[in-house]
Amino acid sequence: MKTGLYDYVVKAGLTRRRLLQSAATVGGAALVGGFSAGSALAGSHSSVRADILKIPGVGAGSPADADWQKVGAMCLEATKASVAEGEFSGVELTFMGLNNQNLHNVLFRGFLKPWEAYTGAKINWIDLAQADYNARLQQSIATGTVDFDIIEMGAPFEGDTAGRGLLDEMPGWVKDQIDMDDYVGYLQAPVGTWGGKTYRVTIDGDCHTFSYRKDYFGDGAIGGADVPKTWQEVNAVSKALVGKTDPLTGQAAHGYLDPLKGWGGFGFYFIENRAAAYAKHPNDPAWLFDADTMKPRVNNPAWVQAIQDVMDLIAIPGAYPADQINADPGTTGFSQFLAGTGSMLMWWGDIGSSARTSDSSVVGDVVGFGINPGSDRVYNSQTGAWEETYNEAPNMAYLGWGVYVTARVSGDEKKRKAAWSAAAHLGGKDLSLWMSAYPSGFQPYRNSHFQYEEWEAAGYDRAFVEDYLGSNADSYNHANAALEPRIPGIFQYYSVAEDELAKGFAGQYGSAQETADAIASAWEKITDQIGRDSQVALYKSSLGL
Amino acid sequence: MLGKCHLVNNMNHLYVVSDEHIPFGRKVLGRFLVWSAAVLLVCFGALQLLQVNSGLDFGFQNWRPTLYAYVLWCICLCWGQVLTYGEKGKRQLFILPAVLFVVSLTVFPLLFGLLIAFSNWNLSNPDGRQFNGLDNLRQMWQDPFYWNALWNMVLYCIAIIGEYAIAFCMALLLNSEIRARKFFRVAFLMPLMLSPVAVSWMIGKSMLEARYGPLSRLARFFGVEDPSFFSSAEVARLTIMAMDAWTYIPLMMIMILAGLQAIPKELNEAAKVDGANPWQNFWEITFPLMLPVSITAILIRIIFKLKLADIVISVTSGGPGGATDTVTSFIFREYRERSNVGYGTLLAFVYLFFIVIFMTILMKLAERWAQPKT
Repeated sequence: MKTGLYDYVVKAGLTRRRLLQSAATVGGAALVGGFSAGSALAGSHSSVRADILKIPGVGAGSPADADWQKVGAMCLEATKASVAEGEFSGVELTFMGLNNQNLHNVLFRGFLKPWEAYTGAKINWIDLAQADYNARLQQSIATGTVDFDIIEMGAPFEGDTAGRGLLDEMPGWVKDQIDMDDYVGYLQAPVGTWGGKTYRVTIDGDCHTFSYRKDYFGDGAIGGADVPKTWQEVNAVSKALVGKTDPLTGQAAHGYLDPLKGWGGFGFYFIENRAAAYAKHPNDPAWLFDADTMKPRVNNPAWVQAIQDVMDLIAIPGAYPADQINADPGTTGFSQFLAGTGSMLMWWGDIGSSARTSDSSVVGDVVGFGINPGSDRVYNSQTGAWEETYNEAPNMAYLGWGVYVTARVSGDEKKRKAAWSAAAHLGGKDLSLWMSAYPSGFQPYRNSHFQYEEWEAAGYDRAFVEDYLGSNADSYNHANAALEPRIPGIFQYYSVAEDELAKGFAGQYGSAQETADAIASAWEKITDQIGRDSQVALYKSSLGL
Repeated sequence: MLGKCHLVNNMNHLYVVSDEHIPFGRKVLGRFLVWSAAVLLVCFGALQLLQVNSGLDFGFQNWRPTLYAYVLWCICLCWGQVLTYGEKGKRQLFILPAVLFVVSLTVFPLLFGLLIAFSNWNLSNPDGRQFNGLDNLRQMWQDPFYWNALWNMVLYCIAIIGEYAIAFCMALLLNSEIRARKFFRVAFLMPLMLSPVAVSWMIGKSMLEARYGPLSRLARFFGVEDPSFFSSAEVARLTIMAMDAWTYIPLMMIMILAGLQAIPKELNEAAKVDGANPWQNFWEITFPLMLPVSITAILIRIIFKLKLADIVISVTSGGPGGATDTVTSFIFREYRERSNVGYGTLLAFVYLFFIVIFMTILMKLAERWAQPKT
């Protein structure tokens, strides 16, 4: 989980008594089969799950290396079932991953120490800062110097790696060990697969969810009686709020907070949020490109409508806070929404947890959550016409982190098994619950993670967790989720789009259509540069077509 | 020892101790070393190239064998000079390693850079680098973002005139007999000691923040309704100029101050005796004498300005709509965010070419301006 939510509970001052009560609740419930029969807490796993949630105990301070090792040791049963003690003696593996906020690789070290002790394998670590990750990976791929056996990687890079045959296919026994059927809907295949083969042990979930200020909406509230459900309503409310006063801060009230400045490619996800409702047709998995030609759809009427929506708000003085043209997603999320500016926002899970936990947040008591707003109409790219029907499409921005094994080990069966065993250990069902409940850098990604009783028993506020995690669960399992295209160079497309959007928002293009055409033209060039035929094949593959 | 050697008067009229006779066998050994190492280098290089281009497998995992062969050749070349030419070879050893070092670390990368600049090399392309002739140049010609960034650089450089004037005033102030002069010298220098990234966050992201930044509040206090320092193109550009100026004016100031302190006081005193007022004293005496220092300060400042990127990347990412973009920040985006190595390298080379031309012209002009008027 993100560190913030955990910090919130810690700050809330969970007492030893309450902690023991919680632990007893979990233990007791497990003993009497208190959870539903269909839940993931079945069999012997339930006691392990309850036990690991006591380490170190919610409210007992931040977990440290000893705790990670303890959890790693307690979750080792699955490994023991498939690997004999000392089986990987003499095997050395190199693991490349992040060290953001002293999480990710730092935790993995602790989790894998008992695994190393049991199997006899040794792991060498390559730690990278987030900012260096993309460049390091791309350069390794381009120069043929892949020097790692296991990699922590985001699904958007599957095109760059699996698409080039750099990954090793997941063996069947790993699939059984990690219980892939438990993954939330959108993380099921085709995510994690390429050309029908599975490559990824998922360890994280990612999507954008809708955060709003409850004090803006309701009877007599300045934003109207109901929370907007569509982007048309979002824009209408944003316009109607001009000139009104924020009920919490006493400053000018604002509606939806669009980030109008780029963010190294990540800013494009935010115009995608608006576009998804218009452009992601339920009968068509593609929504950024035509799957057969890689012709960009970014300048079709649906995307143009999304850009126009933003331009409409820019044109109204006071609809956005001052200097919005220079606001990137970090600004809209942390400097604006959490600080009490604006009433609606789309963001990753960080905002949800930070709303309650960050010292700079003033909206903790008035924040509510939902899924990406929908639209009154949806554009059908196949027919080239709008359909006057309600549509919603949560944006699965980035698709979360996974652990992959590289083809370096493919020729050595012992090493290969060792690498996959390590990956499976990190992506194990029980270990993943602990990572969801304690600071790890990862969000829930399995259906079994949404057993709110477990969270409540661990000390979390039931109402908040249901609202916050519920919005994630609803997005994850949505039938019309807008999936990230896992093609090579996807962030190149996003980055260049940000530049063109910035020009459009600054009024340097005549219209939304002109802005969208400029993006489409730039995307065509990137596709030609990377190779259209291969991009078409990889795009289709990423969509599972 | 001296009995075996004697003094030789060489062409440069330098007296050196030299072994007069170099045996033929030693000369042959020296040449053999150099040529055999060269053959080894060529063989390794050719085999590796063949492996890369033809697909034949000679067992090379990476380019290190060729690199090691090159290092061996360099060592043999140095050794061979001594064996072949004796004392003369030893003298060459004073310069040869440095030459090889420079060639290895500048000329080779430059040539390799040129090769990349004329290639289609997007790191996401599964086919790797491909020579594409002048395509990158044509793309650059039609790239409005690049020309916009170049135009911005012109504007940023023009701002140096204002920076110079401020730096000169501050230097004059510090050169005069004022109270707490030493304190002000240190205080004025402090912005230069700060990292531009820190300046970006402290000033650009915090003090100038539109909602709660202290400077925004101050502007509101003075009646500005919605103070915003990065909303419009002109204001954003001016704000970036001001932040960059705040960081680097002290550099110009300290150079000018050093120049001012080198001017003999007698000159100003003599002018005063002749009836010159303070303005005439400055304009007719101080300023002309400071011209060489001023030109040096401005040239150095231009070089710094042409590298401007960190503040822009941190604060505006080139926005709004490219209004604050610099060539370096644009190349950074092409390289880092878009993995467009070929095109990014070409842009950097063209920029280097522009800079060399511009600076050469500027230095010629400066030379002329700095000549004393007769």
